Amino acid sequence: MNSPIPVPATPRTPTDWNSPAMQNRIRRRYAAERRFKALGLVSILVSAAFLAFLLITMVGNGARGFTQTEIRLPVDFARSTLMLDPAALKGFGADAALAGADIEGVTAAAADAAFGDGGARLLSDGAWLSVREAIKERPEVLQGKADIWVPAATSVDLAAKGDGDAAGEAAYARLKAANAVQTGINLTFLTKADSTDPTLVGIWGALKGSLVTMFVTLILAFPIGVLSALYLEEYAPRNRWTDLIEVSINNLAAVPSIIFGLLGLAVFLNFMHLPRSAPLVGGLTLALMTMPVIVIAGRNAIKSVPPSIRDAALGIGASRVQVVFHHVLPLALPGILTGTIIGMARALGETAPLLMIGMRAFLASPPGGITDPATVLPVQIFLWSDEVSRGFVEKTSAAIIVLLVFLLAMNGLAIYLRNRFERRW
Amino acid sequence: MNDHTLNDIAAHQPAATEGTLKMAARNVNVFYGAKQAIRDVSIDVTQENVTAFIGPSGCGKSTFLRTLNRMNDTVASARVEGQITLDGEDIYSPSMDVVQLRARVGMVFQKPNPFPKSIYENVAYGPRIHGLAAAKADMDQIVEKSLKRAGLWEEVKDRLTDSGTALSGGQQQRLCIARAIAVDPEVILMDEPCSALDPIATAKIEELIHELRGRYAIVIVTHNMQQAARVSQRTAFFHLGTLVEYGDTSEIFTNPRETRTKDYITGRYG
Repeated sequence: MNSPIPVPATPRTPTDWNSPAMQNRIRRRYAAERRFKALGLVSILVSAAFLAFLLITMVGNGARGFTQTEIRLPVDFARSTLMLDPAALKGFGADAALAGADIEGVTAAAADAAFGDGGARLLSDGAWLSVREAIKERPEVLQGKADIWVPAATSVDLAAKGDGDAAGEAAYARLKAANAVQTGINLTFLTKADSTDPTLVGIWGALKGSLVTMFVTLILAFPIGVLSALYLEEYAPRNRWTDLIEVSINNLAAVPSIIFGLLGLAVFLNFMHLPRSAPLVGGLTLALMTMPVIVIAGRNAIKSVPPSIRDAALGIGASRVQVVFHHVLPLALPGILTGTIIGMARALGETAPLLMIGMRAFLASPPGGITDPATVLPVQIFLWSDEVSRGFVEKTSAAIIVLLVFLLAMNGLAIYLRNRFERRW
Repeated sequence: MNDHTLNDIAAHQPAATEGTLKMAARNVNVFYGAKQAIRDVSIDVTQENVTAFIGPSGCGKSTFLRTLNRMNDTVASARVEGQITLDGEDIYSPSMDVVQLRARVGMVFQKPNPFPKSIYENVAYGPRIHGLAAAKADMDQIVEKSLKRAGLWEEVKDRLTDSGTALSGGQQQRLCIARAIAVDPEVILMDEPCSALDPIATAKIEELIHELRGRYAIVIVTHNMQQAARVSQRTAFFHLGTLVEYGDTSEIFTNPRETRTKDYITGRYG
C-alpha cells in the first residue's frame, strides 16, 4: 500500500493565545458583534415606528369615517304639502309615486320648523332620501307626525366627532341640548357607492369594483402564469430562445405599471374597442402585470421540488404529463399560490394603469358585471383625497382602512395556504 | 480491505448459472455534450443472476445503468450510441414506448425517494397509472403482495395511511422497492440502493435481493465490494467509462484476469 511520505522535522512554535495582539483581536471581534446587533435593533425600531405611525394615523382618522351623526327630524306629514296616497305606495307603483312628490321641500320645511331658520342647512343634502325611505317602509306615517333619523350635514358631523368649526360646534350644542342628535355606525358607507356629498358616500361601489377586477385578473393570470411556468421548467429545452423568454419575463415584472396602463389603453380600448372604465379591461391590464410575477414565483416553486421525486415517478413508468400533474404541481402549489396572492395584492393596490383606462369616473352605483363602468379602491382613495369638502378627509382614511384590511386578508390567506399545504423532506 | 474475506464471501456464492439472456448491450457509447462518459461497453444481463456493477466513483457505472431504462433521456445533453435490447427488442428504436419500457425495467435509486403520500398510495401509484387493477380489492391485493415481497408488510400493515416519508431510511428504501415491484417489472435496476442506509438496513435489502433473484433480472450498482461479493453472481468492473472485466463474481474476486481489477478489489485505488 501507500508508504507514508517522510516529513522533515521542523521546530514547532506554539501559538500564544494570550498575546496582546490576540487579545486585541478578540476585543475587536466582540465590538463588531455588538455594533452589528445594535444596528439591526435600530433599523427594526425605525421600521416599526414608521409602521406604527402609519397605522395610528390611518385608524385615528379613518375610524370616524365608519360612524355618522344623525339628527332626529320631526316631520308633520299630515300638515305638509305632500300629496301622497298611502295606498299608492304599496307594491310596484311606489317608486313612481314617490318620484313625483316634493319630499326635498317637505324635509327642508320640517327642518326649518324644528330647528329655526336655516335648520335645513344642519341636514345633509341627502337627508330627504332617509325621509323617502321611511315613507316607503311605513306608508302609514303619512297620516300623522313621525320622528325620522336623517344624516347630519358635514359641519355638524365633524363637530360631533370633535373636529368642527365654530358654527358647527354651536349648531351641534343646540341639537345636543334638544336631545335630537346621535352618532352611530355608518351603514351607508359600507353599502353605497360614490356621492358628491361626503355624508352620503359609500365604499361598497369601489370595493365591488376591486373584487370584480381582481376576479378577472385571477382568472386570466393564474392559469396562463402557471402553465407558462410549468412549460418553461419541465418541457422547454434550454437554449437561446428560452433564455430570451426568461429575461423578457423578468424584465416584464419590473416594468412600471403606468406603461401597462398605456398598453391597455392602446390595445384593449383603442384597438379592440372594449368598454371604457370596465372591470374587464382593468382586469386584463392588471393580468398583464401580474402574470410575470406568477411565472417567476411558479418557476421557483417548481424548481424547489426535488428531482428525486421526478425520477421516482419516471422510474415506474409515469409519462411526463403524469409526473407534472400528479407530483410536481401538487408539491409546488403552495409556493405558486403564495406568489399568486402576492402578485394579486400588488395588483389590488395599483392606481396608475387603471387611471389610464378610465376607471376614475364618478359612479354613484356599484358595477353589476364585468362590462359595467366601475372604479376600484385605490382609485377611489385617490379621487376622495382630491375632494375639497372637509368631510372627505375621514372618508379617505376610512377607505384606506378598507383597502388595508382587504390586503391583510389576502396576505393572511397566503400564509394559511402555505402552512396548510407545505410539505417538508 | 482484506482479500481473504472477499474471497471467502465470493466463494460462498451460488455459482452463476448460464442463465437466459434478458438484456444485452452492444458497443454502447454515452456522451454528455462533448464529454464521453461510456466507451464501447458490451454486456449481457441474465434473468437468473444478479449482476453487480462495481468501480471507482465517476467510472460511469450509474450512467450505464440509467441507459438500460432510458432514464438518461431526461438529461438534455445526453446521447446514447450502440444497441441495447430487452428480450431482443431494441429499446432505443423509435417504436419502443419509453413509458412502457420503464414499467418493464423498474428502478430503485440511491437515496430513498418515496412520494410524500401515504404508504398505500406510494405502492398503488404505478399500478394505477398503468391500469393494472380494475377494482379496489385488486389494488389492495397488489399493494399487499408488493409490500410482502419487499419484506415491509409486517412493519407497515397497520399504518398504510401514514406518509411514506415518515418511515425510517431502510423502510423507505424497501417501500421504493415495493413500489418498483408493484408494476410487475421484468428487470429491476438498483443504483447504490444501500449507500444511504445503516448496516442493519443494508443487510435487510441484501436479503431481499436474494429473495427476489430469479423472479426479476436484477442489476445493482454498488460502491461496496463486499456487497457485490455477497449479493451478485455476475460482476462487471468499470473504470474510466470502460468495462474492464465482466465475469462470474467468484472469478472476479478470487482470480481477476486484469491487473486493474485486482488493484481495485485489493484496495490499491478507488
